[in-house]
Amino acid sequence: MAKITLEHITKTFGKKTALKDVSLCVEDGEFLVLFGPAGAGKTTLLNMIAGIDDPDSGNIWFDDTPMNFVEPSNRDVAMVFENYALYPQMPVYDNIASPLRSRKHRTDEAGIRKEVERVAAITGMSEYLERRPSQLSNGQRQRVALCRALVRNPNVFLLDEPIAHLDAKLRNAMRKELKLMQKNLDCTSIYVTHDFTEAMSLGDRIAVIRDGEILQVGTNEEVYYRPAWEFVARLFGECEINMIPARIEKRNGRLWAVTRWEGVEFPVPVDVERSLGDVAEVDLGCRTPALAFSREPAAGYVRGSVYSVEPLGNKTELIVDVQGDLIRFIIPVDTKFGIDETVYIGLNPEHIIFFDQKTEAFLACHGEETGTEV
Amino acid sequence: MEQKKISEKAVWAVGKVFLVFFVIFSVSPIIWTVIISFKGDNEIFNTFLRFTPTLENYTAVLTTGNYVKAFMDNLIICIGAVAVSVLVGVPAAYALARYQFRKKEDVAFTILSFKFAPEILVVIPLYKIFMSLHLYDTYFGMIWIYQFIGMPLLIWIVRSYFEDIPVEMEKAAELDGYSWFEIFFKMLLPLVRPGLVASALLAFIYCWNSFTFGLMLCSFNVQPITVAALTYIGSDTFHYGQIAVAAIIAIVPEIILCLCIQKHLVRGLSFGAVKG
Repeated sequence: MAKITLEHITKTFGKKTALKDVSLCVEDGEFLVLFGPAGAGKTTLLNMIAGIDDPDSGNIWFDDTPMNFVEPSNRDVAMVFENYALYPQMPVYDNIASPLRSRKHRTDEAGIRKEVERVAAITGMSEYLERRPSQLSNGQRQRVALCRALVRNPNVFLLDEPIAHLDAKLRNAMRKELKLMQKNLDCTSIYVTHDFTEAMSLGDRIAVIRDGEILQVGTNEEVYYRPAWEFVARLFGECEINMIPARIEKRNGRLWAVTRWEGVEFPVPVDVERSLGDVAEVDLGCRTPALAFSREPAAGYVRGSVYSVEPLGNKTELIVDVQGDLIRFIIPVDTKFGIDETVYIGLNPEHIIFFDQKTEAFLACHGEETGTEV
Repeated sequence: MEQKKISEKAVWAVGKVFLVFFVIFSVSPIIWTVIISFKGDNEIFNTFLRFTPTLENYTAVLTTGNYVKAFMDNLIICIGAVAVSVLVGVPAAYALARYQFRKKEDVAFTILSFKFAPEILVVIPLYKIFMSLHLYDTYFGMIWIYQFIGMPLLIWIVRSYFEDIPVEMEKAAELDGYSWFEIFFKMLLPLVRPGLVASALLAFIYCWNSFTFGLMLCSFNVQPITVAALTYIGSDTFHYGQIAVAAIIAIVPEIILCLCIQKHLVRGLSFGAVKG
């Protein structure tokens, strides 16, 4: 149980800056998801917290104890490594038991057996305890790594893509299991992933990281509905958000958003108007609810043609070519479209997220008073 | 189907025939030496298998002269040299595999370069150095010079084994609560053991068979077995039987060692440490 505070952490590897002035606070017992594309610095940040790497500058605190110069073994941190990091010379049982046999967490053999069998049952590894890691599939190895971290009650629980190599069905099951486990363990957890479903479903809060900088920290609703940057908005959602450039024009005392598609223009919602300030060029972030489609021409709709249709089981992802822009959105599965079929696209201003086109920063969306600060 | 079976059998048979020839080729000198060692001097040249076996060669070598002492000397020097190689070489290999420091590759290459020059090239300056340091004809001096024979090889083989172990495994053990020494002995050493055993054995064999240093850098106090065996090639008489006995005694420790750790030798020099 610990509250983790990172203050202005910077880390460089040679000429490459892995972390730039990262400050982050993880509350006691919180489940924080560290989310970002490959190479963003997620694993580096975890290594800093675990003590595997030392920051070039900045401070790490667990509660009120400075941790910068504390050895990893004294931090009471459990970590699941992305490449499993199992001990190849030991059978699975000994791998899982390893933390309980170290001097710091010494337990008697009966206690060890009980604990190992408990975590093995949770992850479905009970039958494989006698095997060696080389005789396991990647998914099974990952579960062993997870077991090894779960077998003791650590201060801080760090998970580096712990279920990335499992198959989809097992991943879903493990996701629920992890969430439940974290609630029961009640220990501070940081979970690294590049899968947005995992991030959305697991995290109390999500920290989005790119190129060593934290772009936004917020609940899953915040990062989804009020993304601080266009980049964040693009990461979330199963079909990528559409960014439609528009001009803001003043007409009869109201602000109008005018897209480059002829006839597609609308008055900006009143509460958004206040937050726009004097930004003249905006990007309209449009997810599926912000888009309307019709087979017949209508006022405010623009003509496009179907570019691709991708069935996703209970729904379909449609990509429509509108004057050279590709617009993606989800339609019900029973709505059938053929390739190159004509479709008319309109906008629902209430669901549009406004971004500054120059800075790519969040400006406003309907139902919110002001833009978020990072 | 039938044809494939036949061709498979043919390949198998050719392989076996080749192996048989190879065994004859490599083992026959040893058998021939063993036979000679039981022959009297007058029977050496005019008999092959039909002769009166005698043990007089063995009694001569084992009771007269200093051959037994040379054997023990060689054992002390070689075990000492291998022990130094392992004690110094394993940490050196770990450092070369894990830590980043300036001129790392240069250091590694310099270590390997000890093996580049033929021994005869460096033995004269070494002789001068040994004389001025009073290391000539001492165990310490011999162990010191013999460990150069095996250590470069040992460092390079064990280093590649350490490099095959993911760093994360060490870190995971650290997070499990183990100290560095525990990690080294419990987690790392078992993984590098095949390479360590194989390269230590090779180092031992190289030391055991080394001749030049033993000939030039010591005389009466300490004498390796290779040099002692030379005394049986006298200036006036050749006792082939005794030479054969000396040779057999000299190869016995190597054969025993090789048989004991054959398994490690084959695996250690062919596989990496961490499979899959």
